[in-house]
Amino acid sequence: MELYLSVFTFALISVVSVCGIYVLTGLTGMFSLGQASFMAIGAYISGVLVVRLNMPFWPATIIAVLVSIMIGFIVGLPTVRLRRDYISLVTLGFGEAITALLNQSVQITGGAMGFSGIPQKTNFALVIISVIISITLVAFLKISKYGRQCIALKSDELAAKAMGIDVPKMKMIAFLLSVGLTAYSGVLYAFYTTYVDPSMFGWRKSAEWVIMVFFGGVNSLTGSIIATLLLSALPEMLRFASEYRMFFYSVLVLLIINFKPSGLFEEFELSPAFIAKLFKKGNKNGVINATTDRKNQ
Amino acid sequence: MLLQIEKISKSFGGVHALVDFSLSMDRAKIIGIIGPNGAGKTTLFNVISGVYPPDKGKIYLNDKDISGKEQFIITRAGIARTFQNIRLFTGLSVIDNVMCAFDPTSRYGIFGGLFPTPMRIREEKRGHKLSEDYLQLVDLLKYRDEKPENLPYGLQRRLEIARALACKPKILLLDEPAAGLNPKEVSDLMELIHRIRDERGLGILVIEHRLELVMGLSEEIYVLDFGHTIAIGSPSEIKSNPAVIKAYLGEEECN
Repeated sequence: MELYLSVFTFALISVVSVCGIYVLTGLTGMFSLGQASFMAIGAYISGVLVVRLNMPFWPATIIAVLVSIMIGFIVGLPTVRLRRDYISLVTLGFGEAITALLNQSVQITGGAMGFSGIPQKTNFALVIISVIISITLVAFLKISKYGRQCIALKSDELAAKAMGIDVPKMKMIAFLLSVGLTAYSGVLYAFYTTYVDPSMFGWRKSAEWVIMVFFGGVNSLTGSIIATLLLSALPEMLRFASEYRMFFYSVLVLLIINFKPSGLFEEFELSPAFIAKLFKKGNKNGVINATTDRKNQ
Repeated sequence: MLLQIEKISKSFGGVHALVDFSLSMDRAKIIGIIGPNGAGKTTLFNVISGVYPPDKGKIYLNDKDISGKEQFIITRAGIARTFQNIRLFTGLSVIDNVMCAFDPTSRYGIFGGLFPTPMRIREEKRGHKLSEDYLQLVDLLKYRDEKPENLPYGLQRRLEIARALACKPKILLLDEPAAGLNPKEVSDLMELIHRIRDERGLGILVIEHRLELVMGLSEEIYVLDFGHTIAIGSPSEIKSNPAVIKAYLGEEECN
């Protein structure tokens, strides 16, 4: 039971970061291969503040997220004006640099030995609340003017500019929101495991998140979240297959990407409107009304 | 002066795509721009709308210098455009495509982007109302929740016009709005363009290959050939201009 709860908690922490990846990759069409380094920055800054400077948990969290966003701003500044693929290269380099830096600064971070002794402040309730808040914020963002403008620039950058959209600014907003969410998930992670080391936050982690978003549906927040829960739990569920579980995992991902390129859920969203429609289904009048309404328009 | 273009030029490497082009529009009217393929028509639109800056020359909108400004700033200053090859936002519904043109000027910040604040709800309502008006104008309101790529070609062209209008421009640039349309759609389009000028008081620049459309619409026509302006005049003057016949109509007949 304990094991399942911890697997589920880790999966939920991933959901918080994937919400960020969804804003960046799903809405805006930018790929970051160094997003996990912001998780590291969030984890390490909050950890150092609490362990070494005896700061309380919440102020440390807020500082960690804000500092990550500031670093994100500096990383994003040269890239948002360039073509969208450049951000992958820049973030990849940045991510590896952060890993190297954490390995080198042994006195503060413990280097490759890892940083331990972080008090356990994250519990299941906090994670659930964080997940709900993250999903709600991103869902609201998607249907706001920011979401629309991000989708517009993903679909056609030139046309987006011609409609008066400030493309570099929109990309920056999406990138920083994503950085903020990832950094926060880093804080949750560090204070749940009580131990972090630099190797946890390499580009593999970032790539894994991108796979999750594509697996579930790059245009669907619902899909991205379900894919995250599924793919995070899968290696644990496949434990009986021991050596072969990574093989199964990869085959499943390949199958989905090949046969359903727009992801499991394509553009489907579990929206209030959809839920309302589900309840109406049994009601014949509702259906007839809906069709006649359409004709009348 | 609504729009004043003074001697703009643009070269790509050794190719002079546009040479010393000047134009002035004192009031809302329709100006046609014609010329053979490669004459520099789309380059002209790209320079006016800020896709790339002119090598030299100035562009004034309402006596304000906008030459070399960034694309989105020029759009917000009052020049909107459509594209020769349709460029609608495929990830968004028909009405959201139009909303996108309203969004950059919508008055709520990032906080409103994450929470449904009263300001956001008010602005979204206002945007929806406006977008519906523009869809109504081009007769697309019944397709509001469709995906744009599922619409027939002619309707996609109309949606592009609605989206450009939602930028609230003073000048509208239409790049081959009749390309790929059937005769019925072309006459509908002509009627629509006239209506836009009359009801909205917009200055309109139209690039078009179809002569019947340009002749029927324009009060003034500029003829380009290899980047040079070879004739300016009313439709009837252009029809009888020997240089134009040689450069443009003559070539068409050879084909």
